[in-house]
Amino acid sequence: MDLVVLVAFSSWLAPALASAGDKDKDNDSAFNYDYESLRIGGLVFAVVLFLMGIALIVTRKCTCSKSDKSRSREPNVESGVPRA
Amino acid sequence: MGDKDDRSPKKKKGATKDMDDLKKEVPITEHKMSVEEVCRKFQTDIVQGLTNAKAAEFLIRDGPNALTPPPTTPEWVKFCRQLFGGFSILLWTGAILCFLAYAIQAATEDDPAGDNLYLGIVLTAVVIITGCFSYFQEAKSSKIMESFKNMVPQQALVIREGEKVQINAEEVVAGDLIEVKGGDRIPADIRVVSAHGCKVDNSSLTGESEPQNRSPDCTHDNPLETRNIAFFSTNCVEGTARGLVICTGDRTVMGRIATLTSGLETGKTPIAKEIEHFIHIITGVAVFLGVTFFILAIILGYSWLEAVIFLIGIIVANVPEGLLATVTVCLTLTAKRMAKKNCLVKNLEAVETLGSTSTICSDKTGTLTQNRMTVAHMWFDNQIHEADTTEDQSGASFDKSSVTWLSLARVAGLCNRAQFKGGQDSLPILKRDVAGDASESALLKCIELSCGSVRVMRDKNKKVAEIPFNSTNKYQLSVHETEDPNDNRYLLVMKGAPERILDRCTTILLQGKEQPMDEELKEAFQNAYMELGGLGERVLGFCHVLLPEDQYPKGFAFDTDDVNFQTDNLCFVGLMSMIDPPRAAVPDAVGKCRSAGIKVIMVTGDHPITAKAIAKGVNPRDAKACVIHGTDLKDLSQDQMDDILRNHTEIVFARTSPQQKLIIVEGCQRLGAIVAVTGDGVNDSPALKKADIGVAMGISGSDVSKQAADMILLDDNFASIVTGVEEGRLIFDNLKKSIAYTLTSNIPEITPFLLFIIVNIPLPLGTITILCIDLGTDMVPAISLAYEMAESDIMKRQPRNPTRDKLVNERLISIAYGQIGMIQALGGFFSYFVILAENGFLPSILVGIRLNWDNRSVNDLEDSYGQQWTYEQRKIVEFTCHTAFFVSIVVVQWADVIICKTRRNSVFQQGMKNKILIFGLFEETALAAFLSYCPGMDVALRMYPLKPTWWFCAFPYSFLIFVYDEVRKLLLRRNPGGWVEKETYY
Repeated sequence: MDLVVLVAFSSWLAPALASAGDKDKDNDSAFNYDYESLRIGGLVFAVVLFLMGIALIVTRKCTCSKSDKSRSREPNVESGVPRA
Repeated sequence: MGDKDDRSPKKKKGATKDMDDLKKEVPITEHKMSVEEVCRKFQTDIVQGLTNAKAAEFLIRDGPNALTPPPTTPEWVKFCRQLFGGFSILLWTGAILCFLAYAIQAATEDDPAGDNLYLGIVLTAVVIITGCFSYFQEAKSSKIMESFKNMVPQQALVIREGEKVQINAEEVVAGDLIEVKGGDRIPADIRVVSAHGCKVDNSSLTGESEPQNRSPDCTHDNPLETRNIAFFSTNCVEGTARGLVICTGDRTVMGRIATLTSGLETGKTPIAKEIEHFIHIITGVAVFLGVTFFILAIILGYSWLEAVIFLIGIIVANVPEGLLATVTVCLTLTAKRMAKKNCLVKNLEAVETLGSTSTICSDKTGTLTQNRMTVAHMWFDNQIHEADTTEDQSGASFDKSSVTWLSLARVAGLCNRAQFKGGQDSLPILKRDVAGDASESALLKCIELSCGSVRVMRDKNKKVAEIPFNSTNKYQLSVHETEDPNDNRYLLVMKGAPERILDRCTTILLQGKEQPMDEELKEAFQNAYMELGGLGERVLGFCHVLLPEDQYPKGFAFDTDDVNFQTDNLCFVGLMSMIDPPRAAVPDAVGKCRSAGIKVIMVTGDHPITAKAIAKGVNPRDAKACVIHGTDLKDLSQDQMDDILRNHTEIVFARTSPQQKLIIVEGCQRLGAIVAVTGDGVNDSPALKKADIGVAMGISGSDVSKQAADMILLDDNFASIVTGVEEGRLIFDNLKKSIAYTLTSNIPEITPFLLFIIVNIPLPLGTITILCIDLGTDMVPAISLAYEMAESDIMKRQPRNPTRDKLVNERLISIAYGQIGMIQALGGFFSYFVILAENGFLPSILVGIRLNWDNRSVNDLEDSYGQQWTYEQRKIVEFTCHTAFFVSIVVVQWADVIICKTRRNSVFQQGMKNKILIFGLFEETALAAFLSYCPGMDVALRMYPLKPTWWFCAFPYSFLIFVYDEVRKLLLRRNPGGWVEKETYY
């Protein structure tokens, strides 16, 4: 879980840093911001996050169906307990 | 009531009078009349039946013999209900106000801002889409309901003009002479005129699991109890009977119950009440804010029309646009989850009702019990043995080695007319269908289970003669050849009412040896009989004798009509007792209900002793059930009734009629309880309808009961109710969290507008961005809270008090609006001021700048550094601020969704196991980034790309929210009942 958060965070930062780097390289005028690479970086960031979310949902199906099963099995097991 | 009146359609009478009338007991009197009188009354003949002409005439007069289906609501009415019910009203009001505001603007300004128009359109769209969604959701469950309907047309055998004809049951009229045989469904209410071993299964009407004998004699004043009336839609189990139809269609006992049911008014569901309460609070807050700022605006010198626009703007900004969809989706998710666990919910709102339930009135037969007689105890060798009554044969077994047991099993197997229906060898014995009487079937299954095939036993011991059971001699006997081919004696076996059997016995079998019956043994027998009877069980005695060969040589002609053989001086073998045992899962489920603070009341049509025995079996820990007879219920005053319902934890109502069940439910509701009723029979349907939530049985339930119910247990398992309660309580808690989460972002959405009015700064957040939050980024996290696990054992706490524990209370509003929301607004304004400052507008210059800022003709507005800004340039900065404010709200909502996961526990205790929630976090951030960075957004939604640093402006506030709420929850846990809990626990 922590790993996922870390990855999310770093992927979030990466384009930000990249575009920040771009800014220093291309233009140091504060009035001419490189919006083009910012846009691309931002979109990459959005897509990466989105895909990670989807991946999470897809993996959820395996892990959660397991945990779901164990949860839903509980009452059944109990109901199946013979009456002494 | 005159029967003539009764039969003619009651068109003139008012509906209310009808209902009162229906609540009274059945007005049938024919059972007390002689057959001739009945014939005269219906102008019919006991041999010939009705003439065809008369029948046709009666059919026109009375109408077809079918139940009028309950009035169905047209589909468009259902759709409108979804569109305009509950929460939607709030959004509609908002939409109308928006259009109004736009109209005012359009009339007064040359170039009106389109915001209000867009907002109005979006609100309308949201309501319509959500309405369609829930409409289709409910249509889906009602489609499943449709599939339950029994489509097979019933046939009836009538005698008209002396000829037997098979006709459609709908064409049966009063006065018809009809014949029924085992396996038939009785086509109308009939007065029995002759019967041969006829038994009917009245369980759907009265709840008795044992088939009842039918005979021509009147045995009881109450038409429901007397033997000479058989009722519409009950089943004839065995034997044949002939009878005169006395009532048809809606005038039958069954029809009256169905009409009573469909006529009952039901109140609002608890969750609908909660949402209404919530709307009141929200409206209150919105109107308060609106009016306050309206007055302020007037004082500040705005024009009257401008102030009205502000007023409307503020009120509409308070409407949580996304909440309707969130609540609907949360309820749908829970409904789906419940359907997976075999609880089918007909009405979305009923999902939560079981969670609020404080009393469950349960029918006994078929719900708590297995609805099949099973041998529970035996008495032989002067000792009571317990048989296994569980469904899966996992219970304790008894000593099968005794010789007496073998003899007992032989008698029970041979003196028994029940047999398994063919082609079921692969099924487990208990699941097989049996042709025959319920108690004989019980014996058959018991013997088959413990001694092997009964058929082989019967083949070895060929039956020579038989006297079937009848009510005068109260025994059944048969004579068989013995297993040993060299033994030419005949074996006589007999079973029947224990005292009658004992009278015929002079010896008793003990440890396989015949011993003379002495007083001591007789007393032992009496004690055993009393004990088993006291358990509510039906006891049968068994005896046998080997007939002496010299008197009854091989080939002796046994005459069963004029009994020419010995029927006394027999040898007593033992007793067997039967009961309809509770289902295996029931005691456990009832125990769980009680620990969840839910009172379980058993309401049954059965006899008090049986009812009490089942109550004991179902709840072994507390055997002090208060048993109330249905007929006593009539004499109780309202106060006495309230007293009983309030002061007894365990109540059993026995021999109750459908009308009395209704009274019991009404009594519980009068005491403020939220009542769930479970049942399967027609007799339960009025109570099912009246209850806050009616739960019908999917397999055994009758159509009428399923129609009246709000929820259906597809597996007929009472334990599923516990699941329902659990899910209902969980969704109530989770809805609170969802609402708390959704409402919080309202404050950072309103405050920009308020400051815009009061201190005249450029607008920090626009309508479009607000909609992006409410209908975009906030949606998935809000819905994901429905997947949140319970914080503590929700089945160990008391049911919520509907007057005190509200879905939304002032504490929730105070947390969401007053505390977390304020921090969020701070975060948003911080990024707003940062961006403006970076562009040259320091906060000090902003106050009061609005008029110039928004003025198209000012194209040289100077900032703090003296730079000049054109209108378009200014607007780009403003919309970048909107985007940054929007992103800031997303950032602070991260923390908000995490703190909303729990109401008491720390997040560290709860964990982050809810993957949907994590998905929600990713998704909302991705959406925010997409909206900000996607090319074209500056034109489409006026959203501009943000510099990465601006994303971090709100981070400290997000962190602050998290810490603030963790500390609050820590204090709350440390000081239970303390100030923090009283003021902030929602």
